[in-house]
Amino acid sequence: MEVPVLESDAEKLKEISEVTGAGLELQEMEKVREYFKEKKRNPTDVELQALGQAWSEHCSYKTSMPILKEVLLTIEAPQNMVVVEEDAGVVDFDNDHAYVIAFESHNHPSAIEPYGGAATGIGGILRDVVCMGAQPVALVDPLFFGLLDYQEKLPKGVKHPKFLFSGVVAGIRDYGNRVGIPTVAGEVFFHNGYLSNCIVNVGCVGVVKKEEIIHSRVGSPGDYFILVGGRTGRDGIHGVTFASAELHENSEHESRSAVQVGDPILKEPLIHACLEANKKKLLTGMKDLGGGGLSCAVGEMAYAAGYGAEVSLDEVPLKEKGMHSWEIWISESQERMMLSVDTENVEEVKKIFEKWDVPCTVIGKVIPEKILRITHNGTKILEMELDFLTKSPRYRRPYIIREITPVVPNGAPPDDYTEILLLLLSSPNICSKDWVIRQYDHEVRGSTVIKPLQGKIGDYTHGDAAVIKPLRNSYRGLAITADVNPRWVEIDPYWGAASAVDEVCRNLVSVGASPHSLADCLNFGNPEKPERLGDFVQVAKGLHLVASVMGISFVSGNVSFYNESHSGAIPPTPTLLGVGIVTDIRNAVTADLKEQGNSLYHIGKAEKEMGGSEYYEVRHVYGNQIPRTDPHILKSRIRKLLQAIDNQIIASCHDVSHGGLAVCVSEMALGGNVGVNMSVNGVKEVELFSESNSRWVVEVRKGKEKEFEKLFGKDAHKLGEVTGKRIVIGDIDISLTDVRHAWETPLWRMMG
Amino acid sequence: MKAEVKVELKEGVFDPEGENIKKALNLLGFSGVKNVKLAKVYTIEVDGNDNVEEMCTKLLTNPVIHTYTIRKG
Amino acid sequence: MNVRVCILRIEGTNCEQETYDAFLELGAQPELIHLKELTAKTLFDYQCVMIPGGFSSGDYVRAGAIFAARIKSTLFSALKEYVENGYPVGGICNGFQILVELGLLPRLSDHPEACLATNDSARFECRPTLLKLENHCAFTQKMTIGGIYEIPSAHAEGKFVSPLTDELMENNQVIFRYCNPEGEHAGYPWNPNGSHYNIAGICNEEGNVFGMMPHPERAFYRYQNQDWTRNGNGAHGRLVFESVLEYARRL
Repeated sequence: MEVPVLESDAEKLKEISEVTGAGLELQEMEKVREYFKEKKRNPTDVELQALGQAWSEHCSYKTSMPILKEVLLTIEAPQNMVVVEEDAGVVDFDNDHAYVIAFESHNHPSAIEPYGGAATGIGGILRDVVCMGAQPVALVDPLFFGLLDYQEKLPKGVKHPKFLFSGVVAGIRDYGNRVGIPTVAGEVFFHNGYLSNCIVNVGCVGVVKKEEIIHSRVGSPGDYFILVGGRTGRDGIHGVTFASAELHENSEHESRSAVQVGDPILKEPLIHACLEANKKKLLTGMKDLGGGGLSCAVGEMAYAAGYGAEVSLDEVPLKEKGMHSWEIWISESQERMMLSVDTENVEEVKKIFEKWDVPCTVIGKVIPEKILRITHNGTKILEMELDFLTKSPRYRRPYIIREITPVVPNGAPPDDYTEILLLLLSSPNICSKDWVIRQYDHEVRGSTVIKPLQGKIGDYTHGDAAVIKPLRNSYRGLAITADVNPRWVEIDPYWGAASAVDEVCRNLVSVGASPHSLADCLNFGNPEKPERLGDFVQVAKGLHLVASVMGISFVSGNVSFYNESHSGAIPPTPTLLGVGIVTDIRNAVTADLKEQGNSLYHIGKAEKEMGGSEYYEVRHVYGNQIPRTDPHILKSRIRKLLQAIDNQIIASCHDVSHGGLAVCVSEMALGGNVGVNMSVNGVKEVELFSESNSRWVVEVRKGKEKEFEKLFGKDAHKLGEVTGKRIVIGDIDISLTDVRHAWETPLWRMMG
Repeated sequence: MKAEVKVELKEGVFDPEGENIKKALNLLGFSGVKNVKLAKVYTIEVDGNDNVEEMCTKLLTNPVIHTYTIRKG
Repeated sequence: MNVRVCILRIEGTNCEQETYDAFLELGAQPELIHLKELTAKTLFDYQCVMIPGGFSSGDYVRAGAIFAARIKSTLFSALKEYVENGYPVGGICNGFQILVELGLLPRLSDHPEACLATNDSARFECRPTLLKLENHCAFTQKMTIGGIYEIPSAHAEGKFVSPLTDELMENNQVIFRYCNPEGEHAGYPWNPNGSHYNIAGICNEEGNVFGMMPHPERAFYRYQNQDWTRNGNGAHGRLVFESVLEYARRL
């Protein structure tokens, strides 16, 4: 079908873009018109849709990439192997192996259909890892919702946070558990800025033999394109354009088809089949079909190798009858991968997929010219130069950096510190998340050696990171964690982002891992609003500050813009996925206190930077001096702590974050079902509740105190000891039972 | 021929899902909800003489906990 | 003599690798076999059959129902003969569900006489569990009756119910029961699903067909335990594999 672009004026061009759902801006439509003017014809509907997909923010990063390339992606690290250009990052693990990380958002679909949206998020991220030839070994799910006890009238079209939360967790659970990959780390953060736009970020880590790494580009002209996996249907159409626009009250009706439908029982054998074909060296390239479906996958795969493609839609296995060509081309139906295979290997590849009962269809060929040519039922429906199709315009949109005028609250210290501790323990961003965690099979594959819930059997506490031992014959481990504090980033994007890197590094080191690489999922509002883009720039700078000093880089990531509705934008949320290396998992450390009589030490210093703290939250106070960080100090402390762990003088370790020292120590005590007796010197509010960066509490083994003190010097000071069944910290005096009750019950009470 | 097979839990078998849903409805303000039972309905289109009763005993139900009814249409 | 172990799977089985590795580590000869590839003839090439955990066929209809129905349609009489010949057949988690749906546990039957029903909590429960060994069978000789073993659970449908429960107790067919650290039979969460009599694993009358809900292949090394950083407990799941291999070797 022909689209009358050549004859259209500006108004008509805008209309066409809207009506077709292509989502192209006016200047983009004008570029299209210019291109086809030279071709002396109008574009077909397939061509317009393909451009809409390729040039969407979600696929092309047209707004974010100029900034990221300049500010964030400049860090080099020797362990990096494949960084940023492909669907996942590849980093050195040991002599023969590499690990693979992918991290993505699935925000817009989850706000409409939380179960399906979240499930397919998991499905997609698994494919990103598999398409590098890697076996997925762990899943990660940082999630952000409005407050669960929200009582007021919900904006039109918005679902209650409880509904979204339980739907998202169920979706992740059912998909991850069925496909048999453990979900081992994550975060749940509640903030009313997410009321209209929940954030669902999903990550995956995989492991691959270096010699089996395969790329997302075709081999050479003559190679065949083979589509494998599920059938293609109308589900998921316009997923990327949907993700590149704000939500509004009719989003559910209009965009329901943009939510994809997942099938983990098809995915499981699909993963086996793809990895087997790759291991047998039968593939020249492999890419997953994600945003934009066939249209993005085929074009990008060919273009990345410097070639083009000739494809026919006739053989594509379909879910429904009567699908239009453009629907087939841009559908985002799940569980599909694209393989490029040399002529001589095609039959063998087909046999492998037949064995696994996974559909497998040849749909096209690689050609030497950088052109994409598609036919359907004998008609040529698309023909464009790949230079034009894949090179979306890049924008230097204007941005404004917010001024942050200091606000320091005046207030009297609390009357009852114990009461404050109880309020903190039961607050939504601190309380136990076992309601979520026990729904995820975090043990499948038998490689989760440090688990998300740690401690004595029957008692437990949150761990700082999980550790996977991926190889049978090696004790080398991968530590995995995900963090960000959006309240901090909202107040001060630069220091909030810097703090996120600090937090991720602290968490990895707590289990005995050396921070090794990062992936980022940058969730923001509408970048066409200069203040939002200004926040983005500041976040990128803050991330760079700490990561560069630590010598780790962002090997993979995702940008999700337009998380906004007319009630406002989300807090800027740069979620980080961090991976660390544990040289020998037998030396790994958990957060639960181990033995009566052991000494407790505080590494670092609590400063009066209480802005954005959970303490101010429970006291209903606002301040905007959030914690800052000195990455050189962080690096030095990390070196010492890893040394201490290596020397086996640390019995348990937990980083100080939400709720400060008092909460940190309480969590450690819960895991070991044993109390503490500690004193604090200095300003109590600050010492107990400050969330300053680069700090840990450690339990030092009996007899090793002098060694510890020598190693840390002024960087650490003694707090007290592990003893009894009460938490005693200066003015705080409370039984472990009461602490447990305050911490364990809130989420269960909310969700039933 | 279309057959509708309804599979339910036997009387006396605890229905944890039903119980949970009742709790959730009560929490949402529907205080009058006294009981919720779940059933699975299979709508099976059959050509020829395949025995739907046998489908129930061979796959669709476990006689320890389920009862079923068949409606042919 | 090397024991050949058939580790049976279909789409959705997802614990086969760890199960395979457990046998391999102990010197046996495990093979991952898709149901499509197993015939009445080739079944007897193996001295042991294990059905691992997972979500075979998505747990659609009912956990284990589809896999069991598919086995039944092609292999039931061969399996019956296999079992009557004393060969060990084990099911872990989804495998247990399958053996029950198949009519091999708690005894040979042409329709299920037990069910692993939805957990009382109506939730998927992934948690460490403690099991007390009540009686012996082909899969437990290396363990001690009355001993408490740390083997984790992860399932949504693990509540053992059966009209034959009393008989099973009397016939010493109840092998494992959930307990607390003191060895007492306790409710949730020590019993994660509400099963009758805290039953976690049973065998048939002859003791060669066995099913358990918790995952011994996830407790094969001590660093897979929940609390290994605080105590020196060994790996208890390993004993299940050692036991069945010894049994198979003696056949």
